[in-house]
Amino acid sequence: MTFNFKNSVIFSLLGLIILLGSLTIYSVTSIDINSFLRFLLINIFVIIIVVLLFNQINLNRIFSFGWLLFLLNILLVLSVEVFGKEINGSKRWLDFGFLSLQPSEFMKITYALFVTQYLRFYSFKFTKFRTIFLVLVLFISALPIIAQPDLGTGLVYVGLGLMFLFICGMHRFYFIAMGAFGVLLSPIIYSFGLTSYQKGRIISWFSSDQTLSEKWNILQSEISIGSGGLFGEGFLNSKQNEFNFLPEADTDFIFSIYAEQFGFIGVFLILTMLGCFIVMTTLSTMTEKRLTNDLSPYYIGTYCTFVIGFSFLLNILMVSGMIPVVGLPLPFFTKGGSSLLCFSIMLGLIFTSRRFLK
Amino acid sequence: MKDKKIQIYKMRSNILLGVFVFILVLIIARFFYLQIIQGSKLKELREQNINAFEYIYPKRGRILSRDGVVLAEDRKVFSLVIDIEQKPSEKSINKLGDLYPNKINVEDLKLKVGNSIKFRRSEVVIERLSQEDLAKYLVGGSDITGFSVIEGYERQYNSHPSIFHVLGHMGYINNSDVKYFSPRIEDYNPKIWNKVGKSGIERVYEQLLQGEHGKRFFQRNARGDRRVITDISPFREGEELSISINFNAQKLAYELMQKRRGAIVVIDLQDFSIPVAISTPSISANDLRDISSLQYQDLLNDSARPLFNRAFMGLYPPASTIKPLLTIFALNNKYTDWEETIFDDGFFRFEEEKRVFNAWREGGHGLTDLNKALVESSNPFFMNLSVRYEKDLFVQFLKSSSFGSKLCEDCYPHQFSPLIDDDWKYKNFGKELFKGDFINLGVGQGYMLTTPLHLSLISAILAKRGEYQLPHLVAKKQNKLSLSDNLTEEDWDKLNMSLIDVIYSPNGTGYRINAGDLKLAGKSGTAQVVDINSREEYDEVRTNQLLRDHAIFIGYAPYDNPRYSIAVIVENGESGGRVAGPIAKTVLKELLNDF
Repeated sequence: MTFNFKNSVIFSLLGLIILLGSLTIYSVTSIDINSFLRFLLINIFVIIIVVLLFNQINLNRIFSFGWLLFLLNILLVLSVEVFGKEINGSKRWLDFGFLSLQPSEFMKITYALFVTQYLRFYSFKFTKFRTIFLVLVLFISALPIIAQPDLGTGLVYVGLGLMFLFICGMHRFYFIAMGAFGVLLSPIIYSFGLTSYQKGRIISWFSSDQTLSEKWNILQSEISIGSGGLFGEGFLNSKQNEFNFLPEADTDFIFSIYAEQFGFIGVFLILTMLGCFIVMTTLSTMTEKRLTNDLSPYYIGTYCTFVIGFSFLLNILMVSGMIPVVGLPLPFFTKGGSSLLCFSIMLGLIFTSRRFLK
Repeated sequence: MKDKKIQIYKMRSNILLGVFVFILVLIIARFFYLQIIQGSKLKELREQNINAFEYIYPKRGRILSRDGVVLAEDRKVFSLVIDIEQKPSEKSINKLGDLYPNKINVEDLKLKVGNSIKFRRSEVVIERLSQEDLAKYLVGGSDITGFSVIEGYERQYNSHPSIFHVLGHMGYINNSDVKYFSPRIEDYNPKIWNKVGKSGIERVYEQLLQGEHGKRFFQRNARGDRRVITDISPFREGEELSISINFNAQKLAYELMQKRRGAIVVIDLQDFSIPVAISTPSISANDLRDISSLQYQDLLNDSARPLFNRAFMGLYPPASTIKPLLTIFALNNKYTDWEETIFDDGFFRFEEEKRVFNAWREGGHGLTDLNKALVESSNPFFMNLSVRYEKDLFVQFLKSSSFGSKLCEDCYPHQFSPLIDDDWKYKNFGKELFKGDFINLGVGQGYMLTTPLHLSLISAILAKRGEYQLPHLVAKKQNKLSLSDNLTEEDWDKLNMSLIDVIYSPNGTGYRINAGDLKLAGKSGTAQVVDINSREEYDEVRTNQLLRDHAIFIGYAPYDNPRYSIAVIVENGESGGRVAGPIAKTVLKELLNDF
């Protein structure tokens, strides 16, 4: 990783996004300026430490622990059932005292590492058996997450897992087959597989009845966004947040508060920065010169970039009412330790993979 | 091989990049829609979220008597209510139960709290905290959460029961109230009113008395906790109302009835206002406010009917007291004159139907002219006249003396004396009026019924020689009315003289009143409660108090320049002259001395 012009642009963009994220968190939680600075420093510190740490580690070493990390991760997810603490009716968190971790957040990394380790052995050649094996492992490992119950994280995990297999070159026939199967199976899953709470979210998304409480959240989110107008209400001026009209304003719906404060210009700015960051990172990963025959750095680098990108977009799609509410955090806009750690690791993997490619 | 894999990788990365950019553009479009196109609308919704207001209940106007006594006013009270935002804890509920063991049933309160939170409606736990209770709460209630003490106004009435029927009372608004007020009050919004006037002055002058709500504007958060009060517009106090009741005379009149059932109505002949209107028995309006629904049922079922306003609603046969009015009718249409005499032997024989009617005095009054028939109250004389009455003229005359029409705009509830005509009889008996009916009507019995208010007005008509107005409780310009009579001044003088003789001539039925220098003129009456066909039956009836005759007296004073007219009815009082008359005398004396 060298500090050429392109890289410094990428780093600046990333830095700005992290700064805006921290500022928004500060504005929502209305903590004092000192704790905000401490929070910002910790954020940056964690990210830099993790990125530097990964910079020091040989990517091969990481890959060689792929299946072990994956297995450990699944065990942690399962242990949540036993040791976890319950928030809002679902057990997702492991409490370590100084921070709560949500092991399911890390599944999307460890699965990718596991797949990489497995396929690297076969030079990324997909046979019918390997394909089916990997897809089955993906689906089965998603079950404990869905059972927490955390359908949102589970579905995103499966989606991102499939995306990784897509990047790695799995035959398109399987995607078409799974797509068709999924469409056919969805009514059955809806009838038998979902809790009434999950059904409510889906119904509310299609229904125009504003009294449904799920719809209320979305309405309040849209009110926050719309109130921003072109220029926004200004930093620290979110009334929707001040008067608590937006539930989970400090986590899942934080972007609505951002939109209320900074307006369409602010939204356009951050989305442009995100777009530039993702496109530049992907393109530069794609066009790095190859030093080895190993393709895994490409795959893992591109994958992590898109995980950040799509996580961002999914959350915004959700808060702006374009998809049903699935509890997904917005990268770098969340107080949650797991999210920060997870996305820091991804950044670390992105930059390490590019160094490795040199 | 490797190159092909690289190619696939690059192609797929580009596909994902395409998808990413596509969604990005979609999101930007969505935010453009929400923030630029829908922005102002959504901002409006946000303001609605945050800004709210609540009504401040206005202070209701006072009601004063003509002699300046406060009859009703709003006083500041403190009530303990459930604070729905705070959700009272079980501990707090128990604590409150300990604080007011006599006033709070913990189980009931738990139920109340549950409903209150469910319907998001603040419920009153204790209405009207006494000073002591308030102090208790302020000292011992510091750690009680979920309840709060609010300030409000409550109607406080003069506690004397004489005033209840005229004033009426307040109560929680219901559908029939909404139906009553909606056409009477412009832009009536029943939702913002809690208690409204249910009867009497309180109901008739609701709009005047109620005032106008203030508004407290505030910003609130999603839970509804009040955060910041941004503006307050104060309420407009209801207007003060002065009514024509003379409280001293009113009290006296009530006490003179000595708990007997009946009514007294006095009309001031200067402006036709009502200085005295009582109905007995009665209750204190404050008592009605405070009682439970069970006690209220008891009051409704009480055979003495204390809630029934006899003065404006009670229908009584006027008996002999109708005779002076019918004298005007008879003279008007030349059915008789002051010269005609008949021989009264105590009976009236109606040849057409071969019926014999008893008169009240055994042996009769002997040779009787119109004057004697009035002074000694001869039934046969008036029965003899009534067979001559023409139906249409009779009905017309009753109409012109306000039978069948509303007598008083601000008396509520109000009942008019039925107009006895063919329609009325068809409706009630399926037949038209017979000649024989007039024999009873002619002496104020049979179908004829009047309210005490109407009797007092009839007395006023006699005093003012046919010129009158409709009586009222609050000064208002009234239309002048008159009987369409063609009596000469001489006729009126003679009629007046006869009514004076009723009181002052030793033969007069009202001689025992001993009116002295009051200058009272009047007519007594004794209304039969049951039809009596023989004297034996009459004696039997006398032993049962509730079957005894009603004592009635109408009159006016002073007779040379009448100032007040009065009607007194004592149910089962038996003798108009001896029972009702003295009451009338005392009330009129009080009023005239007061003046």
